[in-house]
Formats: sequence, structure tokens, C-alpha cells
Amino acid sequence: MQKILLSSTLCATMVCASIDILPTEKRTFEQSKFIPDISLILDASFVNRDIADDEVTHLEIPGIAHGLIGTHGHDGDTHTSNNANNGFNLNYAELVLSSSVDPFFTMDGIFHYSENGVEIEELYFTSTAIGFGTKIKGGKFNSNFGYLNEQHYHSYSFADMPLVYESFLGMHGINEKGLQLQWTAPTSTYLMIGLEILQGDNEQMFGNQTIGFTEDGSISQYADAPSLFVTYAKTSFDIDDTTILAGVSYAKGTTRLDRSDEEENAYAISGDSMLYGIDLTIKHYFNSYSFLSLQSEFLGRKIEGILYSDIDTSVMPYTFTAQDITKTQSGIYTQLIYANNKNWAMGLRYETFLKNDIILDNINSDKPTNLDKYSLMIEYNTSEFAKFRLQYNRNNALYNEKGEQQHVNTIILQANISIGAHAAHSF
Amino acid sequence: MKFFLILLLPLALFAKLNIAVSYPYIGALTKSIGGKNINIIVLAKGDWDPHFVVPRPSLISKIRNADGLIINGGQLEIGWLPQLINRGANPKTKVGAKSFLDLSHHIKMILKPKNVDRSGGDIHPDGNPHFHLDPNNILILADTIKRYLSSIDITNSKAYEKNYEIFIKMFKIKIDEWNKKMSNKKGLKVIQFHNNLAYFIKAYGLKNIATIEPLPGIPASSKHIMNLIKLIKKEKPFCILHDVYHSTKTAKYISSKTDIPIVLMPHDINSLDSIKDLTSLFDYLTSALDD
Repeated sequence: MQKILLSSTLCATMVCASIDILPTEKRTFEQSKFIPDISLILDASFVNRDIADDEVTHLEIPGIAHGLIGTHGHDGDTHTSNNANNGFNLNYAELVLSSSVDPFFTMDGIFHYSENGVEIEELYFTSTAIGFGTKIKGGKFNSNFGYLNEQHYHSYSFADMPLVYESFLGMHGINEKGLQLQWTAPTSTYLMIGLEILQGDNEQMFGNQTIGFTEDGSISQYADAPSLFVTYAKTSFDIDDTTILAGVSYAKGTTRLDRSDEEENAYAISGDSMLYGIDLTIKHYFNSYSFLSLQSEFLGRKIEGILYSDIDTSVMPYTFTAQDITKTQSGIYTQLIYANNKNWAMGLRYETFLKNDIILDNINSDKPTNLDKYSLMIEYNTSEFAKFRLQYNRNNALYNEKGEQQHVNTIILQANISIGAHAAHSF
Repeated sequence: MKFFLILLLPLALFAKLNIAVSYPYIGALTKSIGGKNINIIVLAKGDWDPHFVVPRPSLISKIRNADGLIINGGQLEIGWLPQLINRGANPKTKVGAKSFLDLSHHIKMILKPKNVDRSGGDIHPDGNPHFHLDPNNILILADTIKRYLSSIDITNSKAYEKNYEIFIKMFKIKIDEWNKKMSNKKGLKVIQFHNNLAYFIKAYGLKNIATIEPLPGIPASSKHIMNLIKLIKKEKPFCILHDVYHSTKTAKYISSKTDIPIVLMPHDINSLDSIKDLTSLFDYLTSALDD
């Protein structure tokens, strides 16, 4: 009896369930068709570096940047660079969501998941209805400064960011909250002019926060935000199957670098800075799949302000030494990429710093400029959605704490895999 | 001075409608209907792989300055066009605008995959998008484009109707001619590199027995090639139909092992020097199997 009851209930449930399964278009309040385009990108690597992980975090590019590679603790947060450790690295998982909002806007969200947490890499709306070649973007985004800054790490031609970018601007480049206005000229030759107003809290170069206490004990007062302004012009033309793309970029902002809690060498810099860039890409296509490209970018910067050193935070107000500082630095990277077909590509890259002047109270502290790096890579794409890259770097730009130049050799085997929506390529 | 002349150039084009199109065949068809009232701006090159168009910045300017955009659709442009449309920031060329036309929405596409999964290669979920290679579809597309042009430029709709009638009359005569030419080819077995002639093959009753690519977008392994050679020896197909943009290296190897010829099949206008318009494209395709 019980058995019959049970089976009849089961049957009834199954009938009900089968009635419930309606085709999508007949479900009254069905919204699944509004799901945005979704993609997920994995970037992982195997690294073999001829220097220990503990040691590499203490290396610096003298006068330019400290601790570029490795895992660092900042205010209780752990911050890891890409390809940080010897052995296996899970650099990040990138989740991309994008869709139209309404007839006037689209929205894109790019989230970086790492083992230390989630970052909103980009989250912005873009206008689609203004016309006159004009579009407005707002939210958090990668600035279109230069050639490489707007691109995501996984669309670079190498497994790491060029030194000049990473050391001047940090591993995220100019990635800021703000507004962007771009205008494409109504000419047959491509000409685009852009203007950006950004919050200005780049960890390596810009900033506007008070350093020290806000009361009279402060080392340096805040600057009014937004405090970073970027402008650029880009142009491009074709000569048969060769495309030339060139751009000039300029950024101006305030600098508030607070390194007062660092154990080794506590300091802070407060001032004004500017960054300019020139980029050139020449790409020749042999057919639909094979090309040779030469891409180069020059970045120069000037930071003028006050350097606070010997900071003692144990007494109130803080004690410190203040000196006038002017940093005038520039660097360049040049890369040559040859893609044989859809599957194979190879490339070499040369990077160097051209200028590294640090003037403290009118005395040039003669920082080295023989800072260069060589990279070689070969990549295999099993399809458009999976890339495996083998890269060798020889980095002569890093110095240890004793002030000795290091020659760091690194082999990186990188895997970059994506699923979901097909991302359109940009030039 | 020269720079200012370049700046003024687009002003001279204002009198006509500037219609940007993704591929040359759409350009030729649109020009046939639009006649002297429109200018055509073709984005892709005819001799390159339509799936892999280089998204050159100069194309952004072309989209930015267009009064309308006609695309093939069916995800053929997915890898290159969306970014250009975004950057062009032109309300007239954005998806969903009145002056934006996706031709694939007006064609019944074939070979829609039952299972949409990339383990099956770089598939097109809506079906095979190379529908323009069936000349009967050209008639449908001509009607679609006529109605599109009339809707965005009502004042000239009579001219579009007239041009359409002339084109259809001419093209129907050609279709009869091509049908006659191909009538003895029914049931002929062929091999392809990529199944981009699916509609042509269906229209003339040919039979595609295999592709050199094991899956769309995936290069052939040596094992696949060996199996293919075995299959060719057993099934004895007439030839290998090959597109103009992939390397013929693998096909040549297979041909040398099996003694079946490779026949180069143009897919679009300008894909070969002799293909200058739609009729010469189909004249060539329907004569290619005659040897």
C-alpha cells in the first residue's frame, strides 16, 4: 500500500515537473536571454629564475622602483606580481561581463581573481548614441595613454609588462576611476584625440592623499582630487598591407608617495609630476594569418617636489629630513614579433632606460642608466582560445641592497586559456 | 595645404549615402541596387580569410564616417568587427540601428550545430555563415538590401526598386545558365579545406565527403591526413575544392598521394584577379569543375 502511494506521488511529481519545463520563449517572466556576454580567462605560469624568491623581492631599479617582482605585504594586504615565484604561479583569473545597458550605453566589467582576493580591474559604461565620432566612458578603466596601457596583460606579446611601464606606473599601469572623452576626426586618415580626468591614485607615481596625520603632524597635505589629467592623439594609415599606428600621450598630476611605513628605507615624496609617451607600431601582413610587427614605446617622466627621509613616526609630530627632489627619467621598449600562421609566433624585445637623473637639493645623485633587459619568446596557439608561451628574459636592470648590479635570468612557461564569449581583437 | 585637402575630402562625399559593408560581395550587390545614390566602403579584403580580418585603425575611420553598415552576420565578423564598431562611436552603424543590417537574419542558414561546444572547433552556433555562395540566396539578399536602402533613404526608393528589377532580371537569366552548366555535376563527390562552399554544394547537388581541417579552425594532424587519403582512395571524390586564403601545402600532399586534382574556388570578389563582380564569381565557380 505504502509502495503504491509512494510511486503514485512520485509519478504525480514527475508529471507536474514535466509540465513545468516550458520552452524559454513561453516562460512569462523569463529573463535568461538578457544574460551578458561572459568570458573567463586563466593565466598561469611556470617560472625558473636564477635567484631565490626571498631575494628577488628586495631587488630594485635604482632611483626608479623597488621590489618589482615577487610577493609584498602592504598594510596587511598581500600583493603579488605576475610570475612572482619560482615554480608554479596562478597569476589571475579574469572574469569579463559585457552587455548593452539600454539604447544609449554599454557596460563592461573586468574582475581579477587571485589567490589574495578580487579586484575590480575595470568597470565602466560607454556611450553609444552621441555621434560625431564621440564617445564617453565613465567608471574605472585602463587609460588609453600610449599603446600598451589600455591592453590587458593577456593580450601582451610577452609574458611580462615592459620594465618602463611596470617601474613607472606599477603592474596595472594607469588604471583609475574617472571619465574619458574620445573623438575620432571625420577624416579618411584615422585620427583620434582623447581626454581623461582621473582620480589619480597610482601607487608608483601619482597620488593626492595626505601623508602622515591630517592634524598638524602631517608630513604633506593632500591635493584636490581628481588630480590626474591625461590627453593623447593617435593616428594611423595603411600602405598596401602595412599599417602604421603612431601616438603621443601626456599625463599631468600630483604625486603623494607614502613609503613611511617601510622597514628598510622609509621615505615619502610629495610634488607634481608629468609623464609623456611616444608610441609607434608598424605591422606588415603577409596574408590573413602571418605578419611581422615592430612596436616601440618611449616613456619619459618628471617628478618635482620634496623628498622626506629619515622619517621617525615614534614621536609626535613626526620628525623627518626634507630635501628638494627632481626625478627626470625615461625608458623605452622595442619588440619585433613574427607570426608564422595562426598557431606559431615568436618575438624578441629589448628594453632600456635612457635617463635616470635624480637631483636632490641641486646635486645630481648620479643614478645608473645601464639598465637593460632582453627577452625572447615563442608561442603556440592551439586555437584562438588557448596560448602556450615559452619566454626567456635576461634582466640587467635590477640591483641588490648592497648596490650591486644583478643579471637575472628567467624562463617563463605561460598558459593563457579562455572560455566563453569570443573577444574581438584590437589592433 | 595637402592636409587640409584631406580634411575636406569627406565633405565631397556628403551628397551620396556612404554605406560601409564588411565584405566585397555585399558591396557589389549593394552598389547594384543603390546605383549612383550611394558610395560603398568595403572593410575586408576579398582575397583574405573572412574570419580573420585585420582590425586596422583605418577601418575605424571608415565606420565613423558611414551612414549605414551592412554585415554578413552569422558570427562571421565576430573576431574583428565588434571592436571597430565600438571605436567608431557612430550611432548609425551600431547593432540595432535602423541603418545597420545583418544579412544573416534574412537567410535560412544550414548546418546549425546541434551541440554548441568549442571542443567541436571554432564553430558558428547559428549555422554555416557562407550563404552568399548559393546564387539563389543572392536574390533574397538583393531584396533585403533594396528594402533596407528604401527604408533609410525614402526619397530614392523608386530608383532602388528600378535598379533591383534590372538586377534580378539579369541575375535570374544567369542562374538558369549556371544551373544548366552544373546539371551534369549532381552527386559529384568533393573534399574541401573548410566547409565554406556548403551552400554552393547544396545548390548544385554536390556531395562534400570530408574537410582537410578535422574541425573548423583546427589544423590537420598527420593521422587525420592519413585517414583522409584512405577515404579518398575508397570514395574516389572528383577533386579537392580549396579556398584561396589557406595554404595549399596539405592539399598538395594529399593530391600527390591520391591523384585527385586541387581546384581553387574563389569565395568573394577580388579573391582572384579575374573575379570582378558577382556574375564573374559564379561564372568561375560553375566552370571550375569542368575539367
